Amino acid sequence: MDGLLNLWQATGLANFTVPALVMMAVGCGLLYLAIAKGFEPLLLVPIGFGAILTNIPVAGLAEPGGLLYYVYYIGIDSGVFPLLIFMGVGAMTDFSALIANPRMLLLGAAAQFGIFATLFGAIALNFVPGFEFTLQDASAIAIIGGADGPTAIFLASKLAPELLGAIAVAAYSYMALVPIIQPPIMRALTSEEDRKIEMPQLRHVTKREKIIFPLAVLGLAIMFLPSASPLVGMFCLGNLMRECGVVDRLSNTAQNELINIVTIFLGLAVGSKLSATEFLTVETLGILVLGALAFSIGTASGVFMAKIMNKFSKHPINPLVGAAGVSAVPMAARVVNKVGLENNPHNFLLMHAMGPNVAGVLGSAVAAGILLALVG
Amino acid sequence: MINDAKRVVKKGENMDIGALLLEAASLMLTGMVGVFAFLSILIFAVSKLSLIAGGDEPAKPQRQPTKRPASTGVSNAHIAAISAAIAQYRSK
Repeated sequence: MDGLLNLWQATGLANFTVPALVMMAVGCGLLYLAIAKGFEPLLLVPIGFGAILTNIPVAGLAEPGGLLYYVYYIGIDSGVFPLLIFMGVGAMTDFSALIANPRMLLLGAAAQFGIFATLFGAIALNFVPGFEFTLQDASAIAIIGGADGPTAIFLASKLAPELLGAIAVAAYSYMALVPIIQPPIMRALTSEEDRKIEMPQLRHVTKREKIIFPLAVLGLAIMFLPSASPLVGMFCLGNLMRECGVVDRLSNTAQNELINIVTIFLGLAVGSKLSATEFLTVETLGILVLGALAFSIGTASGVFMAKIMNKFSKHPINPLVGAAGVSAVPMAARVVNKVGLENNPHNFLLMHAMGPNVAGVLGSAVAAGILLALVG
Repeated sequence: MINDAKRVVKKGENMDIGALLLEAASLMLTGMVGVFAFLSILIFAVSKLSLIAGGDEPAKPQRQPTKRPASTGVSNAHIAAISAAIAQYRSK
């Protein structure tokens, strides 16, 4: 009889708690969004499944000794996984649109206002009872506005590891929602004439320029912002491997096999942070609201900057491309292209939007470096 | 008495938040200035880059001289339209 009782005590049924069940439902929800709706499936499948595994009673997968605990400890606590992903992203990024029109970097810079405005908002949320965000927490939450998953995870793991699960889920969910969040803001801030503006063809960029570009970016990071150099350095390494043309094997590995392997474990590790005690808090709600705010403000400030630049520029600049300044490559650029085509079926803005789009990646890495340097 | 004490605590918290807000505002300002400064320097560097590394690439045009007429036969506008169409197709 004792044996039977012990066996019952070892089953999941005897040990389920309501919060754990809720978190398993959240995991299933993420799986549903990924599989049925196609929202960032590469990440939400491992994250959702990781959330389910984490909340299995008795098994303790996310506690010391469990698999997910070690995956998190090795990969995210150390900061290694997001940086490896960033190398792969660098190997997938073509900077020629930006090199051809470097002023687009200003749009990538303007869109980072979403990050810093949200930082302010997160602190202001402390007036609501139940919220106690420190400056570190607020910075980690604000980086969601950078619309860059690996950057957000990297910064959150350094500044506010206990909020990492919610921040990563918010960042990836909103990135998947870019086609829904951005167009209304873009339409509201521009006139029809603005949206019809056609931009001149970009010049050809030589191979030598593409090779020197990542080295130049790294050089600037070394001189002015060493705290951003983990992110920028790995990004530039990936990009140099892509452009130099002599290590295609390495470049292919970085942008395919390696990034895929790391993505599996990154997703699981983020899932391990979706335990009931860490996720089912009022802070998570705040993070979700602030994340949406960060995306919207980033989009709006990018569009405003593009309008200003259009006023002072020799060549016309369609204000819509400013919205691509919130990285989310290449989704944001595609959204710009789509909204542009609605008003002028001959206006293909995709290549023009790729400039601010990749500038946004650099901009959010720089913003992350600044936050690390100032509050880390 | 208790109410007074509560009010004092609340006021203290508010002042704390006020100080944090001030810090956040200055972080917002330095952050945006920092991002703009860094990327402006990068703009300068990239525009110089085209002077150093732009222009003709020496080895390539000589290697395949036969292909040049074909590539100049397509106007830039066509190339733009085709590449945008491909990108749009892929995005579906």
